[in-house]
Amino acid sequence: MKRTVAGSILLVFLVLFIPLACLARTIEPIVSTDWLAANIDNPRLVIIDIRKVEDYRAGHIPKAVNIFYNTWAVTAGGLRNQLPPIDDLTDIIASAGITPDSQVIIAGNTDIPPNRSGITRIVWTLKYAGLENVAVLDGGWEKWTAQKKPVSTAAVKPKPSNFQPRVNNALSATKEYVMSALGKEVIVDTRDPDFFEGRKKLDFVAKAGRIKGAVNLPAMSAYNQDGTFKSKKELADMAGRAVGTDLQKKIVVYCDTGRLASVWAYLLTDVLGYKNVRMYDGSSEEWMKDPNAPTEP
Amino acid sequence: MPAESQYKSYMVDRKLIDTDPHFTEGCPSCHRGDEKASSREKAHAGFVKKPSMDPGLCGKCHDKIAKTYKDALHFTTAGLRQGVSGRFSAREQKIFDEKVFQQSCRSCHASCGDCHVMSPSIAGVSTGLLKGHQFVAKDDGKTCATCHGGRVYPEFTGDFGGSADIHYQKGMTCLDCHKKAELHGTGVVYTSKTDVKEKPACANCHKPGSEKTEKAKTSHAQHKDRVSCYACHSGGVYTQCTDCHLGKGATPKPGFILGLNPRDKKTVTTLRITPTVRDTFASAGIAMEKYDSVPNYWGTPTHNIKKRTERTRSCQVCHVEKQDFLTRETLIKNGSRANELLLYSPKPIK
Repeated sequence: MKRTVAGSILLVFLVLFIPLACLARTIEPIVSTDWLAANIDNPRLVIIDIRKVEDYRAGHIPKAVNIFYNTWAVTAGGLRNQLPPIDDLTDIIASAGITPDSQVIIAGNTDIPPNRSGITRIVWTLKYAGLENVAVLDGGWEKWTAQKKPVSTAAVKPKPSNFQPRVNNALSATKEYVMSALGKEVIVDTRDPDFFEGRKKLDFVAKAGRIKGAVNLPAMSAYNQDGTFKSKKELADMAGRAVGTDLQKKIVVYCDTGRLASVWAYLLTDVLGYKNVRMYDGSSEEWMKDPNAPTEP
Repeated sequence: MPAESQYKSYMVDRKLIDTDPHFTEGCPSCHRGDEKASSREKAHAGFVKKPSMDPGLCGKCHDKIAKTYKDALHFTTAGLRQGVSGRFSAREQKIFDEKVFQQSCRSCHASCGDCHVMSPSIAGVSTGLLKGHQFVAKDDGKTCATCHGGRVYPEFTGDFGGSADIHYQKGMTCLDCHKKAELHGTGVVYTSKTDVKEKPACANCHKPGSEKTEKAKTSHAQHKDRVSCYACHSGGVYTQCTDCHLGKGATPKPGFILGLNPRDKKTVTTLRITPTVRDTFASAGIAMEKYDSVPNYWGTPTHNIKKRTERTRSCQVCHVEKQDFLTRETLIKNGSRANELLLYSPKPIK
């Protein structure tokens, strides 16, 4: 009888905790070029190069699969940088040969803000699809080539996997969610101060300004000039000043289209350990055209 | 682009001159001028900036290609002439050929070097040599993308419309579909790209009947010869150019339009507005006496193909909601009377 009970307990333990163990992080959220070079033969690694096809063909990190940024983030409902429909997203992830066991590294250009934030946007997208072992290549393609690390021109065509998503809706926020969170959660505007203050706006955003009550934590302040991330301490200090140090605090990050915001969405959760961070995908492009959405100044 | 790299994009690599057989006879063999002259002015006397405007020059070695290329549409730009000619009387056609076609449309034709040596110049701007004056077999991103960068290329990469074409997603670029025979020509003189036998067709790779699902197989069989592939698989908005005036250009804006193909009025397809308006050529003295003979919309092979779209997901989008179909109300204002022949209303599903 005792043996049966013990067996049952063991079975329950296995059923409950082994899947969670599979999901737990086995890779740092930001990996260095040196780390990648040293681990490139790890069979679990899937390197995704998100640059244009032409750039990939001209040279890429050995073993990297090319899936261009515009595959992962689409225009939908008149809004830029939206998630693809889930069946399309499943196909995209499967086409890269990614399985729940994979350690996925996203690599791209880190020269200008849209390229830097494109990388984190895709990492966020993979997390939304239920993958936990995702990472950003620190400094990206520019650092890899500056260090004269090996480059290949052989296109990599992986065997598609039968990946099935486990959608994590807790990572994203709709306009309705943000409306209900006003005054209760920390709303973080990740655009440059000129945009936060309402001095500038992009053409496609209906009006200048910010979501009422938002604080400013610019996405590009997280980077060094060479496109690498600042140290964890520097990132923690910046984040702490903007949103406080309570890791349980509920936070919503946004920008103009849901691309820049992904930088802090990723850093706050995966590097700094904040537990409740959502990204408002519609961002200013959606918010500012709603006359009922509170704004300032 | 920093000034230094701009400068470098026009520099010819010395090592290349010493090793590439194209340079065996020296620069003047193509560019003319006098390499022994003592002053810059004399050295550049008679200088030819784009020697391959005469395909015969390349034909000294590449005779087969040069012979066919002189009749290929990229060289003749006959498609541009064909597109508007239906609107002209014989008298107007003569004026167009002399005043507009030679001076305006023909300036767009591609020399051999525009694709193989130096990025073509658009509105006076070129990104320079493709690779230090190497004769490059192909570099789609710098050549095709430059001339076709107004609409096709950004649609293909998803930079316009917001979602990359499935073929680009899979790592394909222009020349994976548009093969040498189509671009270099075969010796057959064409006046329109739609007539070119060697142009790509979806069914060349996606054989009917080879679909993986029954739903796709049935749907393809039901719509065969009645709906183009683009009509269902075009992923979203594409560029519509409107209101073109000679010398001033057109105004682009996004749109998605379905209607009957003007060249085959039995087939529903994606339509693109042709920017020719009634007074486009007024400054050249062409009133377009037969303006109403040709519609303001052409069937267009959109380059934003997706496996799944709103229309592949639901029959209702077309058969009940009739989304994006051209209607009398949505026709462009003061357009050609021929536009009405393109209207189509999908029938309800029985």
